[in-house]
Parts: sequence; C-alpha cells; structure tokens
Amino acid sequence: MLNNRNIVIGIAGSGGDGVVSAGEILVNAASSDGLFVFMLKSFGAQIRGGECSVRVRISDLPVQSQGDRIDVMVVLSWSNFLRFRTELLLKDNAVILSDTDDPMPDKDVPLNDQQRELWYKIPFSKLANEKTGSSLAKNIVMLGAISELFSLPKEALNKSVHKKFRNKPDDIIESNIKAMQAGTDYVCEHVEKKDPLRFEYEARSPRLVMQGNEAVAMGAIYAGLEFYAGYPITPSTEIMEWISRYLPQRDGITMQMEDELASINAIIGASFAGRKAMTATSGPGISLMTEGIGLATMAEIPIVIINVQRGGPSTGLPTKTEQADLMQAIWGSTGDSPRVVIAPCDVEDCFDCTVMAFYISEKYQMPVIVLSDQFIAHRTESVSPDAIRGTKEGFRKTYTRDIPNEEELKEYRRYKFTESGVSPMSYPGIPGGEYLGSGLEHDERGYPRGDAVSHQKMTEKRWKKFEYIKQEFRFERFYGPLDAPLGVIAWGSTKGAVKEAVNKANAMGIAVGALVPQLIYPFLLDPFNEFMKNKKRVIIPEMSFSGQFKRYLRGFIRFGDYGVKDVAYAKAGGSPFTVEEILNKIIEVWKDMEARR
Amino acid sequence: MERYGGQTMNEAKKAADYRSELKPIWCPGCGDFGFLNAMYKALEELQLDPANTVVCSGIGCSSRISGYVKAYSFNGIHGRVLPFASGVKMSRPETTVIAVGGDGDGFSIGAGHIGHAARKNINITYVVLDNNIYGLTKGQASPTTPLGVRTKTTYYGNMGTTFNPVRMLIAYKASFVARTFSGDPKHIQKILVEAVRHPGFAFIEVLSPCVTFRGQDQYKILRERVRYLDESYNPENEVEAFDIANDENMLALGVIYKKIRPTYDEIIQQNVISKAKAASNGVAKIDKLLEQFQP
Repeated sequence: MLNNRNIVIGIAGSGGDGVVSAGEILVNAASSDGLFVFMLKSFGAQIRGGECSVRVRISDLPVQSQGDRIDVMVVLSWSNFLRFRTELLLKDNAVILSDTDDPMPDKDVPLNDQQRELWYKIPFSKLANEKTGSSLAKNIVMLGAISELFSLPKEALNKSVHKKFRNKPDDIIESNIKAMQAGTDYVCEHVEKKDPLRFEYEARSPRLVMQGNEAVAMGAIYAGLEFYAGYPITPSTEIMEWISRYLPQRDGITMQMEDELASINAIIGASFAGRKAMTATSGPGISLMTEGIGLATMAEIPIVIINVQRGGPSTGLPTKTEQADLMQAIWGSTGDSPRVVIAPCDVEDCFDCTVMAFYISEKYQMPVIVLSDQFIAHRTESVSPDAIRGTKEGFRKTYTRDIPNEEELKEYRRYKFTESGVSPMSYPGIPGGEYLGSGLEHDERGYPRGDAVSHQKMTEKRWKKFEYIKQEFRFERFYGPLDAPLGVIAWGSTKGAVKEAVNKANAMGIAVGALVPQLIYPFLLDPFNEFMKNKKRVIIPEMSFSGQFKRYLRGFIRFGDYGVKDVAYAKAGGSPFTVEEILNKIIEVWKDMEARR
Repeated sequence: MERYGGQTMNEAKKAADYRSELKPIWCPGCGDFGFLNAMYKALEELQLDPANTVVCSGIGCSSRISGYVKAYSFNGIHGRVLPFASGVKMSRPETTVIAVGGDGDGFSIGAGHIGHAARKNINITYVVLDNNIYGLTKGQASPTTPLGVRTKTTYYGNMGTTFNPVRMLIAYKASFVARTFSGDPKHIQKILVEAVRHPGFAFIEVLSPCVTFRGQDQYKILRERVRYLDESYNPENEVEAFDIANDENMLALGVIYKKIRPTYDEIIQQNVISKAKAASNGVAKIDKLLEQFQP
C-alpha cells in the first residue's frame, strides 16, 4: 500500500559521510513546513567515524513511530550500510540510491530484484567535488537529488542548508547550495524516474524540532529548576549538557559531580537548602543512586530523578533501549520507601512528565523518578510550539513547596503529622525553622527515634501522600474503542507502536483498545476498572524479558477477576517494538479469540 | 531566586544557645565531647546565625554531631556528607556550612569525594574526628587504624598501612589544612574559627580518641606525640607543609597548609552565570530558550 503522505527515508554511511547532518537538514526542512517528523539515529561503538545511520519519517499526518520499513534507502557507503542490515528493514519495493563512485560489493547485499530495479546510481561525490572542491558535500548533493525525485520540500531544504552552515563564510554556504542544486539538476537531466513515489503534503506553520532529552531539560526549566548535579552517562548525557549551558542563563547552578553517589546527595543538599533540584542518569548510575533515593524518602526531600533507561543489567547496551528498570524504579530501596514513578511516552510527553515530576515532588516532598528510555531520549520529533509553550492542554502546573508560616515557626516541627502527610518545609535562611533532617527514623522534630510506634506512625505519614496524589489527577491515555473485547496495556516508549497498531487493527475490523498509564506508581485502579470492562484478552507488550510490567500489574489487579486473560508479549530490549510486531500479535490473539467463540 | 532573605541577629548568642535538646550518645571520655564543646564556643565567637548555618554529617559516632547543634542540620548517609554540603553551599552561598564526619565516613566509604570538594574549593569547613576505629559498629578497623592493631575485624592484626589525612589533603590542593586535638578544646576553637573564616575548602583533622575501642591510654599516648606549630610558621609553603605532614611520629597541630584561591561559588558567579547571562542578555525567558528548537 503506497501512502504518499508519509515517507520513510533511511541514510547510511560512515561517520564522515554527513549522514546525521543530512538527516537533520531533512528534519528541519520538514518541520519548518509544519510536517510531522520522527528521526532515529544509530551509531557503531566508535567514538568518531565508524558506521552511522539515520531513519527519517516525514508525514503530513501525525506519526507515532519510526515507521517499520523504509521507502527510500540512501546508501552513502555500502560497507557501512551492511552493518545495519538487521536494523534498516526495507520495503519490498523500496527505492535505493547509491553513489556511483561506491560500487556495491558483489556478495551479501540484501536487495531483491524489485529493489535492484528501483535503484538509482548518482555521482554524489563527483558532483560534490565539482561544486565545492571536496567530496564532503556529497550528502548535500544527495538531498538535492532526493528532493527532486520524491518531491520533498525544496525551498525549506534550501533554508535548512543555510541554517546548517550559518556560522560558516558566505562562499561555503553558496557552494553547498550549488551542490544541492547539482543533485537536483542531475536527476532532472540524467535520471529516468522508475518508482511512483511522490510525497504530497500541505505546508503549515513551523513545528519545533526536539529530542526527548532536550524536552526533559526544557520541562525542568519550565518547572523552575534551580540546581542540577549529575555525572555523564549514556543515554542521558544530553540532559546535563543542555542544562549546563542554559540553566545558568536563568541564575541556576549546574555541578558535574565525581559520581552518581555525589550527584544524588548534592541535589538532596540543594533541595534541603530550598532549591528545586534534579539529576539525570541511566542504569548503572541509578544503581548507585538507590541509597540516596531512600534518604530523600526518609528525610522527605523533594527531588526529581530522570532515569533514561538503556539495556541492562550492568553496562549492558549503553546506546540501546529497554524498559527493564521498572521494578528498580518502584521498589529499588531498602525499607518501605514510597516514591513516585512517571513514564513519558514520546518527546512532547518528556516535557509534560518532567513538569509533573517537579509538581509532585515539591508538593508532596518526596523523590519522583521519570522513567524515560533511549528510544525517546535520542529520537527527534517535530513538536507543536504551543504544547511546549504551555498554551496547549497538558500538564503545565508548577508548584513550590509549602514553607512554615509564622505561627508554625514558633514551635517548628518539620515532620508534623498532618492529614495529608505533608508538613511545611523550612530551609536555611528562615529564622526559627532550624531542624534536624535525617536518614534515621525520627519524631516530628526530626530527632532520632528507634521505637516501633514512632516508626509505624512516620511510615504511615510517608505513605499517606500517595492517597492524595492518586486523587489529584488522572494520568492515563486510552486509544481505540474503550469497550473493545481485546486490549493492549503498555507503558513508556512502547506507546508509539501500540497506538499505530491499534489504529491499523481497528481499520482492519479488529476491535481493540489500548491503555497507556503515565503515572506508573502509585498504582491508579480507576483507569484499569474502566478499561477492563468488556475485555476478554489483554496483551501486555514490553521491552523487559522477565515481563516486569505484567508482574507489576499483577501485584495490584487480578486479571481473572475481570474475566480477562492476560497475554504477555515480553522481549529483551535492544530494538524497540515495531508497529508490525504489535499488529501481528493483535491479529494472532484476535484470531484465537474468534476461533474460540 | 531568593524567596526568603537572611536575617541579622539582634542579641549576642552564647555557646549554650547553639546546644540542641538532644543528649550525645557518646561514651564517657569520648574525644568527640571535646570537639563539640569547642564547636559551641567557636560558634559563639563567630556569632553565627543558626538560621544561616548548616551543620551536616554522614554516619558514625562523630556524625551524630549534627543533632547536637541548634542550626539547620542534616544527618545523611554514610560517606556522602561532602556532596550534600556542596549542594547546600552552592544553593545558598550566604550560608555557613560545616560538614563533620569520622575517619571511616571520610577516608573509607567517602574517600572519593574529598579530592573533588577540595579541588573545586567549595567554601565549606570539613572536620574529620579521627579516632582510628569504627566506634558506632563497636570496634572494627578504619583506614587510620595503625598497622598491626587487633580489632574485631582484624583479629590477627590490622593489614595495610594507614592513611595520612593531612598529607592527602595537601596533595588534593585543599586550600586550608589543619590538625588539632580533642585534648585541647581551646586549640580546636581557634582552628575552627579560622577554618570557618577561611574563604575556601577548609579541612581539619581532629585527633579524637576512642577510649572504648582504642583504650583509655589514648589521650596520654597522643599528648606525647603532638607538638604545636610555631607562631612563625608560614603555612603557605607547600613543600614545608608536606615535610610536616610526613612526620608521623610527632603530629604537628595548627594550620599546616593554606593557600587562598577563588572558591567554586565565586567562579560559578563570575565565570559561568555572568557569561551565560551576557549571552542571553539577562535572565533567559522560556520563549527565548525555545528559539533554538526552531527548524
């Protein structure tokens, strides 16, 4: 099925081929024409050079995923393309473009006859040399060629090239523009179009281009972040890089610490001192922070921790995604240690969830973990400027912790028992608010208490907050018909493939609905009760081999009580779910349901 | 950014005003009492405002001290007092931050943090009450337990030579390194006042005997092993300071090394925030930050 309002372009080459630059120029061009964009990058393990690929999906309609199969595959170097052969799946009738100067190695090239038929060889390097005196601009020549071949937004591309080279001398900009034109001209003059692919769209007002990690950073600034401490770790590092540059522009402090133990304790110190504080990390780092998270729960210190999940355990797959830190996030501590866990499901949601995390942590004085993952963190999406500016509906509330009033300061009790479990929190600079904060169990004033009665009462105080958090918001998303007999429950980045698969399945006549919770912990029962009505089967897809999400849900609900059979669809991370995978599972379960009817 | 300004004090504070209601859990004769009493006096001498003073600690006998001082105080987790203190200080540079811990807290589990707090020159005072033993867990070897000493976890004698904290801190470029002794609270008070006034990371090793697990004779032994630095001693000479630190037979008391250089909060204000705000023409607005995401 050819859909001309949606195109997936793959570009592969070596690090020096300008693969990512070309992808970024495409993304910027499409976004400035108001199109919906989704870009994934993939690299080899080398620090510089090595193989590199991007997959850019451009659409006139909202997109939820990377697009399973590639329509147009641009090969800037065959040897590097071959390293991505399991990642870059081509459509049977995919169009191939390659450089005339880079002959295909004879064996092992996975192209079918149809693809070989739709194969354009264009002298990218030669044209680049002619126009710029260097083959470096072959990626720009390529953009000129594909814009002509597939009717991509040419003017916007032109503008994007200007922007890309805006810090370079005029003659460099000019020669790149010429290189792009040369690609276009070559196609006009020498290429006979053999494929039917022509992208159709209507230009709209520009959208913003963001990655998940950038949206987290922006969300934190929006929420009023004042202090960030962290330690670099893939795939979370961009959050700290961004914040270290822009937080000081808003009078905030960024500290690079010696390790994650230091990072979490530094933000606890900053928050104790009355500042909105955050850190970001990934698997190995969150392991080191675990003790500190327990301290923040015990001392009732508001902090926000971003965990950009990667494949684990241990060093695992640093540049690949997984959803297997769920149990760690919810339960990872000694003692009974309440914390809130929120999971964003796309780039825009990274912004929302971070704002929400600050709101909850400040209001309820406890640690909040945002469970992002590499698949969201490193993808580029075009997002609505209104959504980020806060003019669109979404979570935009900010909160600054309650401080004691004059009456309360007369005989200040930091951990005073209250209805909601939240007691006003003073900080250095407030006379009369002096208190002892402690990781030890304590009384209302913070003084150590080792008796069972105090421990029971204080534990109740810390857990009480959950009841109020659960009452305050609804944090879930439903897709497809709510009363469908077949359901899918997913969390985090799996949402994209699930939403798209559910839409496709319904278009095929399969009645299936999906539930994607945003607040993962504490567990909200109401959305599940609504969702489970009429359900017979529920598929639970997750990038966790041991099925952590399913096990987690089973701790709160018994599927059997709803007359529902839960179907696990658990796999190890590494590559995210495709729409095809989820759709096939839906079809499989649906057929089984039909057969038993 | 400021939501609640600092406050000046009207009446002069007395040492007793800094005493909290908690009674120390320490054993009779513990060296930490000597330090605590000297600390109350130092706070009086400095006339610190409790509302703008943070006393924080890790875990161990000496780390209980945060509960005994009337100020903003925090008793965190084992070994992490310096990152916590750094977070407080960088968040509220106007606050006086005193971090306290023991030799286990500082030189064993928390050893990785000392060099970084020192090299960044975080403007705090870090006091290690060094008793050469783990007291709270009742008598196991610490990084400063002498070689060959039998403890509960080194039944056949302590293995591995001991840390030399003063030498370590000079090597880490701490901008103020001093040693004092629980048996001389007046000296502690003098050193602590100087450390708090020092603009930068100030480290004090307090020889603070554990009479319970290291023996009742510790004061006597130490008294014979300590000497006071001359008034004429110039602590700004790094080579001389190392020589003094290297003498592990006669332990020098006083400010052994001192070098004033910019503190981390000064650097952040002058080299980071001012540059950032020059780049953004004042405090950046959200809409301004969003511009970079425009295609």
